[in-house]
Amino acid sequence: MARIPGIRRWFRLPSSVERVSDEVEAEVAFHVNERTQELIARGMEPAAARAVAMREFGDVPAARAELEIIGRRRVRQTQRSDWWSDLRQDLRYGVRYLLHAPLFSLLAIVTLALGVGANAAVFGVLKSALLDALPYADADRLVRVYGRWLDGSQERGPLSAGTIRDISERQRSFESLAAFVDRTSDGVYGADDGSRVVKIAWAEPTFFETLGVQVTQGRPFQSEDRGSGLVPLSGGQLGPDTARGVLLTHGAWQRLFGGDSAVLGQDVRINGMPRTVIGLLPADFIGPMGEADFYFAFDLGPVVADPRFARNSQWLALVGRLTPGVSHDVAQRELALIGADLAREHPQSDGSFGLAATPLRDAMLGDTRAPILVVMGSAALVLLIACANLAGALLSRTLSRRKEFAVRLAFGAGRGRLVRQLLTESMVLALAGGAAGMLLATFILSMLRGLALPALPDYVDLSLDGGAVLVMAFLALCTGLAFGTLPALSIDRSNPQGALRDETRSSGESRRSRSLRGVLVAGQIALCVSLLTGAGLLARSLWAMTTAPLGFDADGVLTAIVHLPSRDYPTPEARVRFREQFAEHLRTVPGVDAVAEASMAPTAVSSRVSFAVAGTPPSKDAQPFVLYSIVSDDYFRTLRIPVRGGRTFDTQDRADASPTVVISESMARRYWPAGEAVGARIRIGPDSNSPLIEVIGIVGDVRNDRARPDAEPIAYRSSRQSAGPRAVFLLRTRTDPLALVRSVERELAELDAGLALQRPTMLRALAAEGLAGRRLPVLLLAAFGGLALLVASVGVYAMFSSMTAAREREFGVRMALGSRPRAIAGLVLRQGAKWIVVGLAGGALGIVLVVRLVRDLLYEVSPFDSTVLGAAVVTLFGCAAIALVVPVRRATRVDPMAALRAE
Amino acid sequence: MARDDLQLLQGTLDVLVLKSVSRGPRHGYDIARWIRTTTDAELQVEDRALYVSLHRMEERGWLEAEWGATENKRTAKYYQLTPEGRRQLAARTKTWSRYATAVFKILQTA
Repeated sequence: MARIPGIRRWFRLPSSVERVSDEVEAEVAFHVNERTQELIARGMEPAAARAVAMREFGDVPAARAELEIIGRRRVRQTQRSDWWSDLRQDLRYGVRYLLHAPLFSLLAIVTLALGVGANAAVFGVLKSALLDALPYADADRLVRVYGRWLDGSQERGPLSAGTIRDISERQRSFESLAAFVDRTSDGVYGADDGSRVVKIAWAEPTFFETLGVQVTQGRPFQSEDRGSGLVPLSGGQLGPDTARGVLLTHGAWQRLFGGDSAVLGQDVRINGMPRTVIGLLPADFIGPMGEADFYFAFDLGPVVADPRFARNSQWLALVGRLTPGVSHDVAQRELALIGADLAREHPQSDGSFGLAATPLRDAMLGDTRAPILVVMGSAALVLLIACANLAGALLSRTLSRRKEFAVRLAFGAGRGRLVRQLLTESMVLALAGGAAGMLLATFILSMLRGLALPALPDYVDLSLDGGAVLVMAFLALCTGLAFGTLPALSIDRSNPQGALRDETRSSGESRRSRSLRGVLVAGQIALCVSLLTGAGLLARSLWAMTTAPLGFDADGVLTAIVHLPSRDYPTPEARVRFREQFAEHLRTVPGVDAVAEASMAPTAVSSRVSFAVAGTPPSKDAQPFVLYSIVSDDYFRTLRIPVRGGRTFDTQDRADASPTVVISESMARRYWPAGEAVGARIRIGPDSNSPLIEVIGIVGDVRNDRARPDAEPIAYRSSRQSAGPRAVFLLRTRTDPLALVRSVERELAELDAGLALQRPTMLRALAAEGLAGRRLPVLLLAAFGGLALLVASVGVYAMFSSMTAAREREFGVRMALGSRPRAIAGLVLRQGAKWIVVGLAGGALGIVLVVRLVRDLLYEVSPFDSTVLGAAVVTLFGCAAIALVVPVRRATRVDPMAALRAE
Repeated sequence: MARDDLQLLQGTLDVLVLKSVSRGPRHGYDIARWIRTTTDAELQVEDRALYVSLHRMEERGWLEAEWGATENKRTAKYYQLTPEGRRQLAARTKTWSRYATAVFKILQTA
């Protein structure tokens, strides 16, 4: 305010809410006094003058109250705007300070970006897989019911129609139940412009009602829409194709019909028969069986009515909605009881089964939960390491600013203000790192989308949505707080007097802060070692899984699927004829060495059948199950599966000849330990009156599930004796298999233009798919391990750097007094080595924890595998050594003269 | 004074206060005395209303205040115009003149 002549003193009191009422009182009192004096000067009596003055003012207490309210409001507003302008100033200073040390800032931001980015990416996956709502109403009330094989070979297996009927009659925990087939089958959709392969899902009419999904247009299934046909009703039997009304999924609607609503009520040709599209499904809907194009409704009545197949064939899945008020545990218990009852009532078919219920989300998640959690844990670890790094680095930088802070404190700055400034600097770093991390995460997620989708459940959508961004911002802020408070706290401890007096001897680090940094580095090393060990164990497992022999030669083999619609190929003879003709055509394609056909590709066999050895008494226990594949004569030769005994299929095994079977080694070993498998007779399937089948040969094992250490027993039938509608053709080629796809398609079109070739792939790629789920966590863990190593190395480097910087003068003195550089180096190393050793010791503890976590994911690797542990430790040492080179050399290069001359 | 007269006066009072402060820093008593003298006691301003006006304008940022000493060595709260206050004074003076002129035109007719 400008100076006013005559006014001598000006002072401004800092505004505060408490002072307002004093000030108001003073102001009002001043006015009243002045008026009183004026009136007294005019001749009034003092008492009267005062009374007049008070009256003129108005209602004094009310006035004071009103003025106080206004005053407090004003003061609060000023405080707020002061606070903001202080903050802006802090931000400006913070950014300037960080720009002054660009290398440090860059390093810090990159470290943070890696930590936050990794977490953001993992969170994106996690959120989508574990947290996002399933596209069903009230999905937490939905449950999958499984058959559990009591011998432990399958925890989540299919159920028979009879079991399902019994469950629905006896249960009380579910308000609705619906059976469905847990995989899609392929069909051919015949449009005017050519045939296309489509995915068909089968479910009971109550399926959508149970899931709580409404059609967006048209009408849902009603019981008259139930049909049969493409689904084998049981044990390989096909029913007549009678399904008419179908539901169309949104994706298929867009893809096949361009989103045209006119398709409703229209007929579409699927597998040669006209079907009516009765309704459209919502855009976000995906069923538990995965992506599908059409939904057909089936009728379980005929199956349940047929005593041969009602119970003996397990091919159905069951989903149910819990009755309100019933918990998962209650339902689980009821189902276990029903399962026990059924096992008692039908020992032959249900004796080896129990019933289990899993919440639908867990069922759809499958085996991915453990790996996801492991990965999330490692991402968090990396972030921790990054934070520790930054905390340590900021700590040293703060210490070098002690003089600055001491001066400011001496001039009256509040400690709170200084702390706030330090925190603001940390926040700027954290937010910059967070923003960079977000970018990194988007990049990582787009990479994952390409790599990982086969490994994750179907409904996962890898993206960073608003929620994830929010969480990451929060994480970045917390990180900033975490590593900012450490240096901020050190301000409280600082001794302004000492710093001002320029005690250069302690201008480096106090003992306390040295220990703190050491602890941080030790912590980083411990986390790093644990992470590396986990990654190493999983990597070794994956390697063992990948390199374990498959049992057949997968290189240079092309596979493709052909689906035969029942309208064009209604009889087994027609299907056999197609197979033979197509194989003949394929053999003429130049570059093809051998052609074989099977009902399912090796490593992708999913059907199982029960069997009984003829001549053994019917056992009280249930029958064993083996994998079941129907193959052509050339199958074993094409895939180079060795023959161990007897013969494989040839022209003797005609359709009208007696049925034959070829079994795998492990099947022969397990069920005919004395070795007389060849020539034995067995019955396949549940029907005890089915014809006896002769074992004609034994072939080498094929590992169908690469994640299992052993090979499951497989039984093979000849495709001449049992030909289904789905044929997988395998071509061994001389040249690049994929180059022949066009030729194969041409041959197929020549034979039958109504057929389509599906999924031409390399057999090697198909076999690798089975391990996709295992590959992802290993990749991620290895990436995180590498990251952690990088960050920890930076931490070690930083610690040694500041240590040597602090003691430069001392080293100069020592060297001047005759110490040799090697001795100096030894000093530095000794000082830091202590913490590295502590870190490794801590790492041992971490390893124990990590091992417990990944134990279930290991394959043929002992949890404390010495190679892995040794490699982890050596890697860490190596990186630490590299990180040490520069600081140690700097220590030995200190110029004694310069050090002595410095004040 | 009747209640509605007071309301009308409040807006006018702001202008008067701003004008009186425009000549230099003043404390509340100064302002009250100046208004009384300048209008030859025609305009009766309740002191309470005056102080409410001063505090409100300080809250809005049209005035800034500091405590200072008077010639008699007493402490008083002095108010001064801020740049925003100066702008408000100019604007309201103009508005008031137009208002007065318009009313006067009506009242001057027969």
